[in-house]
Amino acid sequence: MTVNIGREKVRKIFLPLLLVLFLFCVLSARLSFSQEELTDIEELKKAAPKVFIDCGICDMDHIRTEITFVNYVRDRKEADVHVLVTSLRTGAGGREYTLAFIGQNRFEGIDDTHKYFTEATDTEDEIREGMAKALKLGLMSYVAKTPISRRIKISYQDVIQETAVKDKWNSWVFSISGNGRLSGEEHYKSKSISSSFGASRVTPELKISLSLYGSHYQDNFDYDSTSLESTRDSLSLGGQVVKSISDHWSYGAYFDSGSSSYENIKFGFTLQPAIEYNLFPYSKSTRRQLRFLYRIGFNSVRYREETIYEKMEQTLWKQSLSITFDIKEKWGSVSTTFSGSHYFHDASFYRLTLFNILNIRVIKGLNFFAFGGGSRIHDQLSLVKGEISLDEILLRRRQLATGYDYFFSVGLSFTFGSIFTNVVNPRFGSHGYGGMHIIID
Amino acid sequence: MMNKYIICCFLTFFCLYPSAFAQTQSEGSEIQNGKPVVFIDWEGADLELIQKAINFVDHTEEASIAQINVRVTSRAMETGDTEYTVSFIGQGDYEGDNDELKFSAPKDKPENERQMELADLIKMGLMRYVGKTPVSDRVSISFMDKVEPTAVEDKWNFWVFNLSADTFLNGEESYKSGMLSGSISANRVTPELKIRMSLSAFFDESEFKFDDEVIKSESDSLNINGLFVKSISEHWSVGGFFSTSSSTYSNIKLRLNPAPAIEYNVFPYSESTTHQLRFLYRLNYINVRYREETVYEKNYENLWQQSLEIAFEVKKKWGTASASIVGSHYFHNFKYNRIQLNGELSLRLIRGLNFNIYGRYSRIRDQLSLPRGELSLEEVLLQQKQLATGYSYRMSVGLSYKFGSLKSKVVNPRFGTGGRSISISF
Repeated sequence: MTVNIGREKVRKIFLPLLLVLFLFCVLSARLSFSQEELTDIEELKKAAPKVFIDCGICDMDHIRTEITFVNYVRDRKEADVHVLVTSLRTGAGGREYTLAFIGQNRFEGIDDTHKYFTEATDTEDEIREGMAKALKLGLMSYVAKTPISRRIKISYQDVIQETAVKDKWNSWVFSISGNGRLSGEEHYKSKSISSSFGASRVTPELKISLSLYGSHYQDNFDYDSTSLESTRDSLSLGGQVVKSISDHWSYGAYFDSGSSSYENIKFGFTLQPAIEYNLFPYSKSTRRQLRFLYRIGFNSVRYREETIYEKMEQTLWKQSLSITFDIKEKWGSVSTTFSGSHYFHDASFYRLTLFNILNIRVIKGLNFFAFGGGSRIHDQLSLVKGEISLDEILLRRRQLATGYDYFFSVGLSFTFGSIFTNVVNPRFGSHGYGGMHIIID
Repeated sequence: MMNKYIICCFLTFFCLYPSAFAQTQSEGSEIQNGKPVVFIDWEGADLELIQKAINFVDHTEEASIAQINVRVTSRAMETGDTEYTVSFIGQGDYEGDNDELKFSAPKDKPENERQMELADLIKMGLMRYVGKTPVSDRVSISFMDKVEPTAVEDKWNFWVFNLSADTFLNGEESYKSGMLSGSISANRVTPELKIRMSLSAFFDESEFKFDDEVIKSESDSLNINGLFVKSISEHWSVGGFFSTSSSTYSNIKLRLNPAPAIEYNVFPYSESTTHQLRFLYRLNYINVRYREETVYEKNYENLWQQSLEIAFEVKKKWGTASASIVGSHYFHNFKYNRIQLNGELSLRLIRGLNFNIYGRYSRIRDQLSLPRGELSLEEVLLQQKQLATGYSYRMSVGLSYKFGSLKSKVVNPRFGTGGRSISISF
């Protein structure tokens, strides 16, 4: 191949072309050179473990790009290893990810659990790198039992062990944040601003958290000489203290204060001591919990406008019980919360709420979910006496009188065909394809 | 101190934090500090060499103080090969955490090679223990080969089919809403060719009660989408889009839109999860039938349009940034055009301080489907119908600062956290 073609002009045109050609040659030469080795590796890859990664929050494309020594499948029943990823928030605002490696089919009985921690301010890239690393570590037990293990290299870089530094903050974490939003077009404009301050201290024995939050929303409509302005404000200060008694019992208190235009509250204050019993040990919380939380306390409110009960202010005692059941297993997840509360001055002011999520994958290829909830509402003490305008209703600016509310959703999805999901192909971007997508984690 | 920390971080890429300074407060029996202690029981092996190769654990000659006992046994096979069994037995904190690996060596393999290969296998077997210690931060696992993701036995030849149906209802005394959607899709994605086809339908109804008056609103849409992309090189792709749609919001009865397209990516596609800069050109043919006569007095139209999208995305240790610009115009009249800008940035400025900004702006000069008639106030407030507009924008900015014991790894689920979450997107 020669680049020496006499004239300058021709060279200018042909140089890039030749370069492309040259690159192509190099590329194909490299391909044919490694052909023999390639077929061998392909055989090894065919026998590599089949992995199902059960994680709604993982960057799957990154995992598939980084870890190429296993085969990814889309159905748990096809897998040799089912990796069930669950997470909980840590005291510092990061997350604790628990990766349960569950061996099945040819690896039946080989199980392991690894943990991975992130910090609150880790970037997306750091989080996905850490997750890929934790996955690699956990997968080694399975990969070592297949022939592809010959091609894995483990290296170690020794550095001087840093001694653990003393925590001068004594487990306290503080956060300050502010957010602003704007959107609009010719006939419609909307803006909002919110800000919060938080302080917390979480240790296994004691959990303290405190937060201050304020927000302001404003919408403007302008259509056919009708112009509407609608605003919604809220300000709140809340906190909780929880003391651990045993692996099953805890006690503590909640307090809340604030104002809300939606609920017609000028200023409200609530203080509720509480006690909780968890049937399962708290240390199993990411996989299962059955908690009974009882609260009793008072609620003191000043209203913005007179209520339908002709009150401008009230101080009332109230008790509530909520029962939460959560389970997450290979076959899916179930989550149920039932809560009930009533006021002491008149027991006919009560509320019952039920909330349910069910996600099941028992049959190969079939995914079923249902979630729903409803409330029986008999405690709308803050409803405004006067009339509410149409725009306040349509834009949901005011709480409306209602005896109930509900929501319900059910979905069924059946997938068949190729079980492998090894490929990452980002060409032409990723496009949404309409319809509704529901992720239950 | 801080500087040294940053340098170390850089050297070991993403290894050092978070557990190098680990607070030893975690619940459970997790091992937090130092290397695991290993006893290797292997007769006839050059232990010194093996121990040197396995340098991420502390070796001991005392089986009783070891956290992991590694026993290597061998037996001769009928073929003359030797089969080795490596058993890992956890003790103390690792009690009950056992594993067993097998390895067979052909008879002509020299002893020292066998031992090194076995040492590699022992390293892999130890990962399940090492992964639970901070040492794992400095261990790196790599695959020495490049292999096609399609190197699997697949009788479906990478075709995946899906059928799904969903419904969502909610309401209270004065408000009700219901939604129903269904879809069928067939996809085949390989590195050389991407085929995606789907049919989806969506129906939505809501009802407000206001003084004895009932305001009802309905919308539905039907979409058929197809995507076909052939890979030419690490930087070029060609293919096409196909879509048919119908929508009450946009006043469209039926719209057919085939569009051949070509794309160039400045970065190799294989690095897409880290960075991409794509130029996507589309030539659209549009055949559209409207529900109501449009402001331009049309009931149906045949149009040609072209568009160019430039999309940039980068995801690095410091954060994530993405930006895109899409411009399009119709050929029959160039003044019917649209430009859309999009940008998103999420940065960690210094430790604890995160900043994010999102912005989107569209300059709209191509609302060919606007109906002629008047819209009611409800239609406007509930955003049921598209309105004439020359622009639309959206932006948000956020800043958050965290300080204090940021290294804390304590999890305390009392009084609730960690329930299930649902996210719904359309």
